[in-house]
Amino acid sequence: MTTTATRPAEPTSKQEIFPSLIGTSVDRIDGAEKVSGKASYAADTRLPRMLFGAVLRSPHANARIRSIDTSRARRLPGVHAVITGEDTAGIKWGVFRPDLYPLAIGRVRYVGDEVAAVAAIDIETARRATELIDVEYEILPAVLSMDEALAEGAPLVHDDALGNIAHQVNFERGSVDEWFDKSDVVVEGTWETQRQWHAAIETIGCTADWAQDRVTLYVNTQTPFLARQRYAGALGLEMRNVRVVQTEVGGGFGGKSGDDNTSVICAILAKKAGRPVQVINTREEEFLATHPRPGMRYWVKLGFTSSGLVTAKDIRVLADNGAYTAKALAVMAAASVRHDALFKYRAVRANSRLVYTNLVPTGAFRGFGNPAADWAVGQSWDLAAERLGIEAPELFLLNAVEAGSVSPHNHKINSCELKQCITKATEIFDWYGKRANPKPNRGIAMGCSIHVAGRRSFGDYDGSSAMVRLTDDGRATVITGEAEIGTGARTVFAQITASVLGLAMSDVTVTRPDTDVQSHVLGSFGSRTTYVAGNAVKRAAEDALKQLLDAAAVQVDRPASELWVENGVVHGLARSTTEPPIEVPVGAVVRAELYRHDGLSIVGLGNWDNPSEFPDHSLFGNESGAYTFVVEATEVEIDPETGAVTVIELVAVADCGTVLIPKLAQGQVEGALAQGLGFALTERFDWKDGAPTHPNFVDYKLPTAGMMPKITVAFADSYEPTGPFGAKGVGEIALDPVPAIISSAIADATGVRVRNMPITAEKVFWGIQEIAAEKTNGTEQTTAEQTMAEQTGDHR
Amino acid sequence: MTESVRFTLNHDDVEVHVQDATTTLLDVLRNKLGLEGTKTGCEIGYCGACTVIVDGDAVPACLQMVGLLEGREVTTVEGLETPDGLDPVQDAFIRCAGMQCGFCTPGHVMAIRALLDEDPDPSEQRIKDTVDGNYCRCTGYVKILDSAREAVELQKAATLAGAEGIHS
Repeated sequence: MTTTATRPAEPTSKQEIFPSLIGTSVDRIDGAEKVSGKASYAADTRLPRMLFGAVLRSPHANARIRSIDTSRARRLPGVHAVITGEDTAGIKWGVFRPDLYPLAIGRVRYVGDEVAAVAAIDIETARRATELIDVEYEILPAVLSMDEALAEGAPLVHDDALGNIAHQVNFERGSVDEWFDKSDVVVEGTWETQRQWHAAIETIGCTADWAQDRVTLYVNTQTPFLARQRYAGALGLEMRNVRVVQTEVGGGFGGKSGDDNTSVICAILAKKAGRPVQVINTREEEFLATHPRPGMRYWVKLGFTSSGLVTAKDIRVLADNGAYTAKALAVMAAASVRHDALFKYRAVRANSRLVYTNLVPTGAFRGFGNPAADWAVGQSWDLAAERLGIEAPELFLLNAVEAGSVSPHNHKINSCELKQCITKATEIFDWYGKRANPKPNRGIAMGCSIHVAGRRSFGDYDGSSAMVRLTDDGRATVITGEAEIGTGARTVFAQITASVLGLAMSDVTVTRPDTDVQSHVLGSFGSRTTYVAGNAVKRAAEDALKQLLDAAAVQVDRPASELWVENGVVHGLARSTTEPPIEVPVGAVVRAELYRHDGLSIVGLGNWDNPSEFPDHSLFGNESGAYTFVVEATEVEIDPETGAVTVIELVAVADCGTVLIPKLAQGQVEGALAQGLGFALTERFDWKDGAPTHPNFVDYKLPTAGMMPKITVAFADSYEPTGPFGAKGVGEIALDPVPAIISSAIADATGVRVRNMPITAEKVFWGIQEIAAEKTNGTEQTTAEQTMAEQTGDHR
Repeated sequence: MTESVRFTLNHDDVEVHVQDATTTLLDVLRNKLGLEGTKTGCEIGYCGACTVIVDGDAVPACLQMVGLLEGREVTTVEGLETPDGLDPVQDAFIRCAGMQCGFCTPGHVMAIRALLDEDPDPSEQRIKDTVDGNYCRCTGYVKILDSAREAVELQKAATLAGAEGIHS
């Protein structure tokens, strides 16, 4: 699993020849604290004199605020602070397009928009006080869908965004029209996805504590350093006046990457109250006012030669930004560009628009733009396979990129085992066996996806840094601001460090991010942590090892090159048969190095920059130094009486380079598959007047254990030369193809092609009825497909 | 008017005073007793993050009114650990990587603990039905189900070792 022919034959240091923990299923270093309830999440922070905050939100999708009267709220016993937009710095903020006030000033733009907030002695009092705030609204016409927003003369969500367009991506590389002219088979269609909420079981929360002019924010953020930068801006403070300390994070998935107002409001409340304040989103707030995945309408046209070689791809994308701009801008960009690095397209074109609506703002979610792209492009490939009469695995093998491929956007594919993944998935799933023995009401499908391992997104930087400090009790502390959000990142850092230094896992601790302690790093997103941060940690550990062996060399009077560390002991062979071999505990070497005159502590430094390019405005540029791949196959069963879909089996084969910790890598894939299932089948709301009618778990159904099909996870034998021990990322990718392959498998079983997510029994049922009716009438099946495309559904 | 309620909590007798008998056990555990291992997920009894054991049954603490606890026995995740170490269910979660972010984990642990208290050798279906009652957004449940199965085995082994200890 961990070695291939491409791995360097010669160990780069003597250390590497000793048994390594790499590739073994070590236990998580935070397992005991998590199973025992001791891990401290955002809502578990307790500070002396701490107050609790609650937020008043807009009940209207679009309204002018005529007046706010907080006097009744302020008089409620137990209330310590009431704030409105007037208490803020009045600065619009946002990562790419600053358009969000910390609290509304003059105008609200979606149901859930923050209007005012209260800090009180307990949460009940704070909530009661928010109900005593009198806001007079002048309700304005709202745009509650992308169609309404794009209609002639539609009201503007923001006055400076003409036509309600927040952003555009346009490119053409190669001559798309010429390649379509040369194509023998062309497929095209429009596909829609809906908002998907992260629904981490822990909601977003913050505790703010001021000391003079400086605020400390204890936040469950994925990106402590980027959050500090943005929150400081929103508060009108210098970055030096904000410190962010990461609490345990109860699930991220992109939702805790610092685009929400909760921490900003919390800081303002604490300032005004003169006491620490904690604000924790309720589940309802989490649904109303965080940043779900943007819904997209995705038109795609693909061309192929009769032999199945792909020619051109043309897409037109509309993405629902909601009322304010967080990361949907970049999500749409990824949805427009990344798929072009998966297959050997000769020419590609995109025209994508990010559309403001008076709906909950959207943003980053695991998979970023890929799930929407896969829903459309992946199903189009399935249609093409059918039209070409080529089995999907064969068509993929014909067109898959490989090591050395360069995409039209300059994605330089380094390690690539996509073809191996296709072959392995075909075997594990028994694709041809299932084809040869079709079962009634069952269908199968396969899909592929590509992801980055880190990306230059927030300026021309995708680096990381770490320190590894050796202690005089023989342990190592990894000091990095890179963030654990549940994936096991800290365990990976510990494993890498223990492997490099010849220590046991239990001898390595890993700090949590605190912007006062570590160097600026980017945090957990973009499947970057193992690859980018892992490399920085590895370099820091190697530096610490070098310092340790250099110190030991002086101490035992031997060349450092003849020493190594194993099980926490520095070893050297005996110089002669009369001398014992050298065995000095690591801690003793560290102590002796410190205690010599002018002695030094041993702290290794490691920096590493993703060998990637900052893409230009047209998204040209090698966005990551490494790319990961997944191939997935599914079998579904349809109840022809009801249209109900049962997913029988999911197989996923991922190329993530070396698998550092198999059970954690499997967990990433399994969890991503479950989120893909939920996205495809169950996660939706009924909407009225611009908001979910019941923003809670009863309506928004997450997958449960009982819903899970038979799951098989496997990994390609792969080695990424630039990765730590050959590893790439694996956090996001397995989610991406799931909805598309479920839909394609339904089409395989029934002929019904669902084009609007989520896939519901109702949509499948009516599709079956239409096909039956058309058979009776003698018309063609394609009519049914078109009807399905026109079918109005849940567009959000 | 405050009400006082006496019950057993993690093997100790406790008396709590609440303004309102409908105050939830979740609120009391987290905000009055400092037992923050029980997590708040949805506050409508749906997600299972706040699962505790009351008189042998796994229940969501967010729906359990404190006024109804008089004389009853409550166990939270803090009550599982002994001086000898973690509960077999907790050990199983570590071994099988049954947790990622860990936020739902105490609830899952308590639900499986209640199952094993009632049935030390549950069928696969009972295991699946139990895990089905608690949300997890990270794992896809594969390794939580593995953890539950492993817990059964660890508990059997521990019971056997305990019995041998008595006889030797």
